[in-house]
Amino acid sequence: MNSNFYHTLFLSSIALLLTGCQSLNTKEQTTTPTVKVSEKEFLITITRPNTTLHLIDLQTNKVIRQCDLAAGPGPGTLVMSPDNSIAYILTNHFSDIYGVNIDNCDVVFSTQQSTDNIRVKSIASIAISPDGKEVYTHQNRVKMMNDHYEILPPQIAAFNTSAGLNVKASRTFDAPRQVATMDTLESGGLIMGGQDIFLMDMNSGKYEVILPSLNDEQPGYSAKDVLTVWQMGKVNNEYYRMYSRAKYNGKEGDLTNADYIWGHEIVNLKTGKAEAKDFGPLESVLFTSIRRPGQLNRVYGTLNDLKEYDSTTQKLIHSIDLPHTYYCINFSHDGSKIYLSGALDSIAVYDADTFDKLAHIKLTGDGSMSTSIIFKRQG
Amino acid sequence: MLKQTLFGISLILTTPLLFAASLENDESVGAKLIRTNCLGCHIPTDKGLSRISYQRKTPEGWEMTINRMRLMHGLTLNKGKLDIKGSGLHEIVKYLADNQGLSPNETRGVRYLLEQDLNQIETQFDDDFLTMCARCHSGARIALQRREPKEWNYLVDFHLGQFPSVEYSMFGRDRDWLGIARNKMVPLVSKKYPFTSEDWSSWLAAKKPELEGKWILSGHMPGKGYFSATMKVNQNNKDYYSLNIEGMYANGEAIKGTGSSVVYTGYDWRGNINFGDISLRQTLAASADGQTLTGRFYQKGQELVGMKITAIKDASTTQLLSVFPSHIKKGETTTLTITGLGLDVGSSLSLPANIVANKVVSQSANRIVVNVTAKDNAQIGYVDIQVGEAKLTNQLAIYKQIDALEVVPSYGVARVGNNGGSTPKTNALFRAVGIDYGKDGIANTEDDINLGYIEEVSWAVVPRDEIAKKDKDVKFAGQMNSHTGLFTPAAAGPNPERYRSTNNAGNLNIVAKLTENGNEISGTGRLLVTVQRWNNPPLK
Repeated sequence: MNSNFYHTLFLSSIALLLTGCQSLNTKEQTTTPTVKVSEKEFLITITRPNTTLHLIDLQTNKVIRQCDLAAGPGPGTLVMSPDNSIAYILTNHFSDIYGVNIDNCDVVFSTQQSTDNIRVKSIASIAISPDGKEVYTHQNRVKMMNDHYEILPPQIAAFNTSAGLNVKASRTFDAPRQVATMDTLESGGLIMGGQDIFLMDMNSGKYEVILPSLNDEQPGYSAKDVLTVWQMGKVNNEYYRMYSRAKYNGKEGDLTNADYIWGHEIVNLKTGKAEAKDFGPLESVLFTSIRRPGQLNRVYGTLNDLKEYDSTTQKLIHSIDLPHTYYCINFSHDGSKIYLSGALDSIAVYDADTFDKLAHIKLTGDGSMSTSIIFKRQG
Repeated sequence: MLKQTLFGISLILTTPLLFAASLENDESVGAKLIRTNCLGCHIPTDKGLSRISYQRKTPEGWEMTINRMRLMHGLTLNKGKLDIKGSGLHEIVKYLADNQGLSPNETRGVRYLLEQDLNQIETQFDDDFLTMCARCHSGARIALQRREPKEWNYLVDFHLGQFPSVEYSMFGRDRDWLGIARNKMVPLVSKKYPFTSEDWSSWLAAKKPELEGKWILSGHMPGKGYFSATMKVNQNNKDYYSLNIEGMYANGEAIKGTGSSVVYTGYDWRGNINFGDISLRQTLAASADGQTLTGRFYQKGQELVGMKITAIKDASTTQLLSVFPSHIKKGETTTLTITGLGLDVGSSLSLPANIVANKVVSQSANRIVVNVTAKDNAQIGYVDIQVGEAKLTNQLAIYKQIDALEVVPSYGVARVGNNGGSTPKTNALFRAVGIDYGKDGIANTEDDINLGYIEEVSWAVVPRDEIAKKDKDVKFAGQMNSHTGLFTPAAAGPNPERYRSTNNAGNLNIVAKLTENGNEISGTGRLLVTVQRWNNPPLK
């Protein structure tokens, strides 16, 4: 029905809420990143409809391994074990997790989060403990009775990654509603990105706001709006998400004369320090952004364009049209190459300085709603 | 899949049937099927069955509920028959809509959803209701239900349980969606749309209209123009009818066809009928006295292509239903068709003084075709037509010139489809209404004259903005029929020929044009060509 048209910052993005993407997976502080001689870079991603894992060698841009899980799709959010040998995939309609050995495609871990008459959905909220011993999810739960549903409070569930297949949660803690992306501090705390950014002590289950977001009531600005199921900060060892907001030029609340701006919320995974900062003008919709390794004031974003901002001056520096939509943006560890993914059956590689297209990696399935991670290890 | 719990099963085995008298004792097929099929999950209560006996809905509303249980919760009806025919679905819906439906008053103002007249903007709901409820589906879908507060609360649980993204998507993530739904919206809709109402009690007790007989109806068929017809309605069983229609378009083309209908809740008519090779669905509401049917006919599979319908039941008195065309220009000659009842029995046609009848072309009980001329000195404005004692008030306009065209709907949506996908295209239909600015010659003043549909316009689509122009939306989004105003969208899927390989969506303006006194008159509407709806329930 053609009723009720709303005009907001994210008009065109609402239908795409559940598209997933996640970024680089190293624990290094990468202000001056280097790749060890013996290490190679890989990109890993998932395609529909069977939840097929694709492992790509980024020296050759070739798919070197495919693991078909024969599981239902969506969203395909990934985290990697600390040694980058196991990919943990949230899939099968936001419900199940599979741990896959990327060297031989063996499924070494699985959980079906829904149990008995309680159905569980995780909206791209998956994280792994720094020691790799536990995988965490945020669980939206509904109890399905004979003739009605009953919404249960959400919770954080911890799964023992060494427990094998069909694992049940070993621990659960009450959690705030509306949590999407998550990550862990090096010290073990769980970062939950919801209406605000929370930190949960995974021993006690206590949590607190470490960065107000929706509730950051800054005079002269609208509330922040965060649409994200993509955690884009691993290459810089940070929890990272993008927001938009309006900066009022006239009266408080006057959107007509306001400037619209992008910003990002960052939690340093080593120190736990949290900060929010505007980085540039909102001229067109972006779905993901990322800071350039080695030049952290340079922010790159994508959806239908590839854009570069200087967060120091909050100016747009460079922008090109893309041949089609890409939801996810990633960086090589040295900050020289940009990888665009998460839509249709291709991954595009761009030169971060010139925005020249360097390569085009063809996938055998549809990468929509999936995530991609770039990591390095001995190859 | 809903789980059987031991608790639930034990209740079924041990609790005596405490149905309300009607459901417990009713020997209708529908009531028996409810007793046979629903006890697996629904628990007997002092009012009937849990959930079921605490809600009232339209036929479509009940059908959606049952089909959701079939599709998502593993409900099997009548020994697991999947085919709707013979499954018992219809009989259950009929029983529930008859006994727990909505009264005529309770559906008033939101029947457009039942009539599938979907290309319109809902303006009657407040902001909370729009953002919390009507951002995903129509507001009318809610306004066509009645529930006890506990049932509205269960609906909140269902929404978040079935669609967890509700509190993550826009206007969900920016608020405590669940808290607002429970604490603000449930009390609001419980009060606004209560399960118990005097109106419903009165309607349930009222004598229902008799609908068998002969009906005269008229309307404006897309691509064909005005028509009038006689529809004979024969009752096969109570509430079940067979239909025969005969009539004529304004251009003289004959209409002939048959159909069938079911009447729910004593007044709410759903039918199928063929106008020759055009298959139409009917959604009509009978007046309490059984003398009028009003609603909409629309093409099967293309709900947006339809027409408003008014029908009156044959009676011994002379009555007037319609006149078309609904306008005549000063100094010009045209042929009017006047429809109604008893138009041939000693009935004299009386036209306004400023309209001269040149020749009665034909006259029958239900139709007078007359060639008329509006005098040069005729006063512009609405005039009455009289046949015998019957009067048709303000249905004919005398005008000086068409000053403007209004495109209706002002904002339409069409959807790409086919191309190997499961969803067909959704066409959009536009019509043009003529406006004479009246004696003052100024737009939007009280003396403006609405001339009704203007047939002689040409139709085109143009880019709505610079982006649409750059992306060649006009070329890719579909085809506008320049004569009929029917827009057929293009095929679904990514289009490699388009910028960014995007699909064949388009942001277009609709332009209706005609030449009036040497001047080009145009009207503009908006057309959004967008992606398929994958979920197409009867009430959207």
